[in-house]
Amino acid sequence: MSFAAGDEPHPIAVDAFSCAKAGNRREEYEDAWAVRGSDSPRAARLAVADGATEASFSALWAALLAESWVRSRASGADFPRRLAAARRLWARKVRGRRLPWYAEEKARRGAYAAFLGVALVPRTGAFRAVAVGDCNLFLLRGLGPALRLARSFPLERSEEFGSSPFLLGSVARPDDDPSPHVRVTEGIVPGDGLLLLASDALSAWLLRREEEGRPAWEAVSPLGIEDGLDFEALVGEAREDGCRNDDMTLVRVVPRP
Amino acid sequence: MPYTAEISRRNPGCFLFLLDQSASMEDPFGGGEQGRRKADELSTIINKLIHNLSIRCAKSDSIYDYFHVGVLGYGQDTVVSPAFDGALGGRDLVPMSEIADNPLRIEDRTKKADDGAGGIVEQSVKFPVWFDPKWAGGTPMCSALRAAADVAQRWVSEHAKGFPPIVINITDGEATDGDPAPEAEALKSLGSDDGAVLLFNIHLSSAPGAPVELPATPERLPDQFAKLLFEMSSPLTPFMIGRAKELGMPADEGSRGFVFNAQPVQVIQFLDIGTRPANLR
Repeated sequence: MSFAAGDEPHPIAVDAFSCAKAGNRREEYEDAWAVRGSDSPRAARLAVADGATEASFSALWAALLAESWVRSRASGADFPRRLAAARRLWARKVRGRRLPWYAEEKARRGAYAAFLGVALVPRTGAFRAVAVGDCNLFLLRGLGPALRLARSFPLERSEEFGSSPFLLGSVARPDDDPSPHVRVTEGIVPGDGLLLLASDALSAWLLRREEEGRPAWEAVSPLGIEDGLDFEALVGEAREDGCRNDDMTLVRVVPRP
Repeated sequence: MPYTAEISRRNPGCFLFLLDQSASMEDPFGGGEQGRRKADELSTIINKLIHNLSIRCAKSDSIYDYFHVGVLGYGQDTVVSPAFDGALGGRDLVPMSEIADNPLRIEDRTKKADDGAGGIVEQSVKFPVWFDPKWAGGTPMCSALRAAADVAQRWVSEHAKGFPPIVINITDGEATDGDPAPEAEALKSLGSDDGAVLLFNIHLSSAPGAPVELPATPERLPDQFAKLLFEMSSPLTPFMIGRAKELGMPADEGSRGFVFNAQPVQVIQFLDIGTRPANLR
């Protein structure tokens, strides 16, 4: 999905791509993404969230997290402490249902999701990112054949992507304080650079290719992916190349010349 | 790399439980309160294991069939048969969704839970029951392991690239139809492209003694039955060792899938079906 429409050229072009785990139906996709203000020169907000497989109603929680971020004014480590409204909404939507015993018990444990939010000033490229869990941000420089990785956040190596990260929960618990797990970074997207927000399996695959000295970044740049079909083809190649079978989400921000 | 096959609805995993339902299971359980029989402990363990598997596979308002589960009971000298009763009676491997939807009954129980403000509250919970305590006759463990091999062989021939079956034998350890060690070896010689069948043992003994979980050596085990079951048990895979440590279990290099007088309900978490939050309780 592209956010570059309109007559006036906007400072940035934002594209979002997503694809469900192989073997799952599209409605079983449990990642989420949200974008707001991509046509503004002053304030754009973007988010990717990845609902945990081993929890129920995770897709709903991931969507609420992403939407909460893009509609929030929080731009730092305070965001994970401002989830009361999203949690209330999650509880209202889940607890209003008549559920079998196992679904009721699972729902009582809450849903969980990894989260990455970015607040960006499109005119200058200045951004701040907040992350809990293993959705990853990549800052790249040198659009074109010289495209290279400048920063990987919050995880920097492919082996850091495990199957048990700390995630944001839809049920507040006193012994479940996210504060020690919140990561924040800041930077500037240069005019010849781009910013990627990606869910964990895709992030781990890209980093592994980088570590092995194999081409990684051009394939996810505008030269590699123009539309959803291109993205699905890339995901197919990634899975053939050992990428874990998982939901895949990519949000790409490219400054306009 | 072995034991890395994806477990999903397209590539389900297989748990096969063997329940010792022999007369000796009526004897007192050495690791619990007074008056508790080994058969009581066994039924609590298997009901909790199936309960946990159901919760693990629950997704929104349904169950995903990440696992197919078989339960074989053995007792009465030579009898080995599917142990499910009720709607599932007579079936040896059943998708999790059918199991979760067909307990014998659902009891209302209470449990103590954190009230979120530093206190404890009693919470009403559903406790589904699939198995009641049973005991009669001898302990045909060799026959049970052979029957498990038949089921496992059928599974791996139909799921050649999948994660191999995990067989969990819950017993007081005293086989009456021969030496179970060769039968255990024969069972573990089966496998899929992803690895050999894994055999874990849960030993419920009348002997008192501290619970032992996932030992790497038989040194702390109190008798020859425990030591034999330890020797029959498969080593944990590297992923399982890591997951057990995350869950606070005392696993280490060389740990085997064996517990003595403990309730290892977390063994259900030893297989990877996707992201599991570190903070999920």
